[in-house]
Amino acid sequence: MSRMILRRLLVSLVVLWLVSLLVFVATLLLPGDPARAILGQQATPERISALRHQLHLDDPVWKRYLDWLGGLFTGDLGTSTSTQGPVTALLGDRISASLVLLVLAAVLAVPIGLALGTWSSVRRGRATDQTISGVSLVIAALPEFVIGVALIVLFSTTVFKLFPSVTLTTPGEPVWRQPAQLVLPVVTLVLVVTPYIARMMRATMNEVLDSGYVEMARLKGVPERVVLRRHALPHAVGPVAQVVAIQLAWLTGGVVVVEFLFRYPGIGQALIDAVAKRDVAVVQAVTLLIAAVYIVVNLLADVVGILANPRLRTEAGR
Amino acid sequence: MEERCRPNSLSRRRFLSASLAGAALLLAGCGTTFAAPAPTGPPRRGGTLRVGVTGGGAADTLDPHSPATNPDIARVINLYEPLLIRDHDYRLQPVIAQSLTASADGRTWTAVLRDGVRFHDGRPVTPADVVATFKRITDPKAPKSGATSLSMLAEVVPAGDRAVEFRLSAPNAGFDDLLGQYSLGIVPADFDPKKPIGTGPFKLSQFTPGLQSTFTRNEHYWRPGEPYVDELVLINFTEDDARINALLSSQVDAIDQVPVALVDVLRSDPRVRVLTAETGSWLPFTMRVDRPPFDDVRVRQALRLVVDREQLINQVLSGQGKLGNDLYAPFDPAYASELPQRKQDLDAARKLLAEAGHPNLDIELVTAPIQAGAVEAAQVFQQQAKQAGVTVRIRKLDTTTFYGDNYLSWDFAQDFWYTRNYLPQVANGALPKSPYNETHWHDPEFAALIDRASRTMDTAERTSLLKQAQKIEYERGGLIVWAFENRVDAHQFYVAGIVPDRTGISLGGYQFRQAWIGKEAA
Amino acid sequence: MTAVEIPRADAEGEPPTHHSGLFRTAWAFPQAKIGTALTALVVLVAVLGPWLGPLVAGHEPTEFAGKPFKPVGIAGTDGLGRDVLSRFLAGGTTLLLYAVLATALGIVLGALLGMIAGYRGGLLDSLLMRANDVLLSFPQLVIALLAIAVIGPKGWLLVLIIGLTHAPRTALVARQATVAVRDHDYIRAAEMYAVPRGQILVQEILPNITGPLMVEIGLRLTYSIGYIASLSFLGLGIQPPTADWGLMINENRIALVVQPWGVLLPVLAIALLAVGTNLLADSLASAAAGRTRETRS
Repeated sequence: MSRMILRRLLVSLVVLWLVSLLVFVATLLLPGDPARAILGQQATPERISALRHQLHLDDPVWKRYLDWLGGLFTGDLGTSTSTQGPVTALLGDRISASLVLLVLAAVLAVPIGLALGTWSSVRRGRATDQTISGVSLVIAALPEFVIGVALIVLFSTTVFKLFPSVTLTTPGEPVWRQPAQLVLPVVTLVLVVTPYIARMMRATMNEVLDSGYVEMARLKGVPERVVLRRHALPHAVGPVAQVVAIQLAWLTGGVVVVEFLFRYPGIGQALIDAVAKRDVAVVQAVTLLIAAVYIVVNLLADVVGILANPRLRTEAGR
Repeated sequence: MEERCRPNSLSRRRFLSASLAGAALLLAGCGTTFAAPAPTGPPRRGGTLRVGVTGGGAADTLDPHSPATNPDIARVINLYEPLLIRDHDYRLQPVIAQSLTASADGRTWTAVLRDGVRFHDGRPVTPADVVATFKRITDPKAPKSGATSLSMLAEVVPAGDRAVEFRLSAPNAGFDDLLGQYSLGIVPADFDPKKPIGTGPFKLSQFTPGLQSTFTRNEHYWRPGEPYVDELVLINFTEDDARINALLSSQVDAIDQVPVALVDVLRSDPRVRVLTAETGSWLPFTMRVDRPPFDDVRVRQALRLVVDREQLINQVLSGQGKLGNDLYAPFDPAYASELPQRKQDLDAARKLLAEAGHPNLDIELVTAPIQAGAVEAAQVFQQQAKQAGVTVRIRKLDTTTFYGDNYLSWDFAQDFWYTRNYLPQVANGALPKSPYNETHWHDPEFAALIDRASRTMDTAERTSLLKQAQKIEYERGGLIVWAFENRVDAHQFYVAGIVPDRTGISLGGYQFRQAWIGKEAA
Repeated sequence: MTAVEIPRADAEGEPPTHHSGLFRTAWAFPQAKIGTALTALVVLVAVLGPWLGPLVAGHEPTEFAGKPFKPVGIAGTDGLGRDVLSRFLAGGTTLLLYAVLATALGIVLGALLGMIAGYRGGLLDSLLMRANDVLLSFPQLVIALLAIAVIGPKGWLLVLIIGLTHAPRTALVARQATVAVRDHDYIRAAEMYAVPRGQILVQEILPNITGPLMVEIGLRLTYSIGYIASLSFLGLGIQPPTADWGLMINENRIALVVQPWGVLLPVLAIALLAVGTNLLADSLASAAAGRTRETRS
C-alpha cells in the first residue's frame, strides 16, 4: 500500500514539473518585451537593456527556466509589469483572502452535500429524492456567474437588500472584518459544489445500501438507523472522499469567476486583471498556484481512496 | 427615471441598510426630495478628511518630481508646491514665487520668492533650495518626468537672497507655463525622498504603497487659516464599485472619478454631492498623416465630417462633455473659438471620399481601455462611419499592448490628454520632435508659426500666430477632437470647500488645503 | 463545471446499443422532453434573434436608441444607449456557434485518441494517459486564461482551447468504452481477416461506443456554453461591439439596479440553455445505463 502511495506521489511530482514547464513555455510565446512593458512610455534604450539584464532576459532560455523554477522555491515569483513591484507583494494578502472564501465554502458544502445525498438515497424514488436530484441536476448545469448574478438580484440589489454585492473593505483591511460581504460569494461557491457532492453521495449510498452485508445486517434485525450509521456510511467514505476532494480542488479554479463577480480581492481577481493587462509574471504565478493546489488535493484524494479501500485503486482508475 | 419614483418613500433606517447592501446603484434614482443641507458660513477647523482615490499600486511613490498615478499626484499636490500653479480656473498663479518676469528677449526669467514660506521642518525657502530642486529634476543621470519639457533650460542661478534666474538656451515666451506644473515642487537642498519635506499644506505621517497614506496639518503653512482639517487620509481604490460603495457606506468622505453613467444614480442619494467640473481633457481619434489612406487630407477631413459629436457626448459621456472642434487647449486665451463648429455632414464626407478615390473606405481603428469611454467611443464612431459607407474594423487591445512597442505608430487609433494650454500641448504632441506625436504631424508652415510664436513676447502678436497655427490643424491636421470631457467626482454633503477645477485633476485639483468638514458630520 | 471523472462501470460487458434505440429509450425520461424544449427554445432565439431583433425592438443591435441606461423601449438601453432587447436577440448566435464548434473539436479529438489508446494499449496508451494527467491537473478555465493571456482574446482561440481541454476528458470515456469491447469476437474476427486498423476503429468500435459518446456530447456542450459565456463575462471572450450574452452581463452589471434587463435577459438565456443541454445529457446517460444513474463528469 505504501508503495502505491509513493508511486502516486512521484506521479504528482512529475505532473507538477510538466505543468511548470507548460506555464513557462506559454510565456515564451508572448510577443513583445517584458522590459519594455514594465518601463512603458518612459523607456529609453539604455534603461530597457539595463532592465533586461536585471530581469535576466538576456540569459539563454534553459537558464531562465531554472532561475524561474528556483525563484518559485525561494518565494521570488518575478516582477509584475502592471504594478512594477514583486509578484509576491501583489499576491500576499490575496492568497489569504481566497483561502477564507475556499475554507468557508468547503466547510459548508461538504456536510450539506453529504447529508442531502444520504437523505436522498434513504428516500430513494420518493418525492424527497426526486426533488433533490432534480434541483441538483439543474443547479449543476449553471455556470457560477449565473448563480452569482441570480443571488445578487435576489439578495442584494432588487428583491431583498440584505447583503453587499461587492467587497466593501478598504485596501489593506482583512476581508473578514466585514463578514456580511462574504455571504454571497460563499453561498455561490456552496451552490456550485454541493450538487456534485450530493449526487455522488446518493449514488454511492445506493450501491452500499444494495450490497450484501447491509442486506445481512437488516436480516439480522439491526435497526435501519444503526445499519445506516454502522454499516453503510463507513463503506461510502472512500469513494465519496475522493469526489469531495476533487470538488474542493475545483473550487480553486471556480473561485476565479466568483471573485471577479463580487470584486473580491483574492488571487482569482488578480488573475483576471493580469490576463486583461497581459501581466505574464502574475498569470504564471497564479496558474501554477492553482494547478499545485489541484494536484495536491487530487493526490490526497487518491491517498484517502487507497487507505479506505486498496482494491478500489487500480492503475486505470481515473 | 424621476417620474417613476414616489418622493421620500425611503425611511432613514431602510436607507442606511440599503447603502450597506452594497451595490452602488441601490437607490434606483428615488428619494431626491430630502437632500441634506450643505454646510454654510466660515470654514470650520479640525477633523479628518478621508478620500478614495482611483488607481495606484505597488509602485506608488512620494517622489515630488515623478508622480505617475492619481494617488501619486494627490500626494505630491498636498506635500509640495511649485513656483507657480494653475488655479481652479486654469489661470497661472504664483505660489512659492511671488512673481515671475521675463527679460525682453525671452531668454532669462526671474522668479522672486515669496516671503514667509517655510518647509515642513520650519526652515525658510531659499534660492539655493530652488536651484537644487531644478538640479534634481534635470539630473542627466536620472531625469525626472518634468525634465522633458524643460529641455531649453540651460541653468538656474541665485540672484540675490530672494530671487532666482532661469537662463534658457533659446527664447521661450511660454516658460512660465512650463514652470507651473505640480511635478516641479520646490524641496530643500538636502531633500531625501525617504523623509519627504516640502512646503505643502500637509506633512506626511504614514505611507503604505498601494494602500493608503496619512497626512497631518502643516503648522508652518503660509496661506492664512489653511489647511482646515487636522488630518488627511488618501486611500487607493482601483475598482469603480468599491470606491462608490465606500462613499455610500460612509467609509470615505470624498471620491474621485465617478463613472458618468452613474451620475444620475449618485445625484439621487440625498447625502451625496456630485461635483462636475468642465475640463480641457480630451480623448481624440488619431490619424497618421504619413500613412495611406490618411495621408490624403480629403480622407482626414471626411472622417472629421463623419463624426456626430453630440451623439458621441451623449452615448459615451452621458452628456458630460463640451463639444470639440478638432482643436485642443480650450482654456488658452488664444483658443481659436472663431473657427466654425464642425458638424456631421455625411454627404460632404461621401463626396470627399469619392474625390480621394475611396468611395468604400475600409479602415482599422486600434482601441484599448486607456481611459473610461475610449472603447465605447470607438464603437460609436464605427456606427457613425457606417452611415457614410465607411467600414471601420475595431481592433481592441489591452492597455499594455496599446502603449507597447507600437504606440505612436498605429495608423488610426486613440489617445488621452489632460488639460494643457496650446504651446505646451504642441510641444508634447504636434512637432516632429515631440515625444507623443501620434499623428506624425509634420507641417513646415505650422512648425514655423509655432517657432515664431514661442519667441514672440508680445501677447497680441503671439495670439494671432497661434490662431493661424490652429487654423492649419483645423484644415489639415490628423486629430479628431470630439469633446472635452467633464471630470465628475463626489463627496458627502458635510464636506465643503472642494470646488470644480478645470485642470482635469479630480476633486478641486486635489487641493485639500481648502476642504473643511461641516458640523453635520458629527 | 468541473473535472471529476467517474469510471463508468456500466460500459463494461454490456451489449452494444444502437444509437437510434438510445434516443428512443432516452425520450421516455421526463428530463429529455424538458431538456429538448428548453434547448430548442434558446436555440431558436439564438438563430432567429438576429433577424427578429430589429423587427421586435425597432432597432439594430448596434444602433443608438436613446441615452445610456434609460428605460426606453421594451427592455431599455445599455451603457452606450443601444436597445437591450435587440442586442439580447442577437446575442446568442456567436456563443452557440463557438460552443458547438468547441464541443465538436473536443469530441472528435478525444474519441479518436481514446479509441486508439484503448484499442492499441501498451506504451501508446500509457503515454496518452500520462499526457492526460498533465492536462487534467488544470481547471479548464485556468488553462483558457493562460492561453488568452499569451495570445489575446480571439474567437478561434476560444474554440481551440475549450475543445482541446475537453479532449482528455472525452478520451478517458472513449478509452474505457473501447477497452470494454476490444476483445469481443466480432473484432477478433475482423482482425483475422486483416481488416486495416483504421477501418476496425471506424466500422467496428465506433458504432459500439456511441452511447457514452452521446452522453459526452451533451455534457461537453453544457460545459462549452458555460466556459465561453464565463470568459465573455470576464471580458476575455467574445469582444465588443459583438452583441453577446456573456459580454452583455459584463457591460450592464454596473447599472443592475437602474436597468436590470441588460443583465437579466442574458442570464436567463444562458441558464435555460445550460440546464436544457444538461437535462438532455442526463436523459441520454440514464438511457445508456439502462437505469437512472450518475453520469456527472
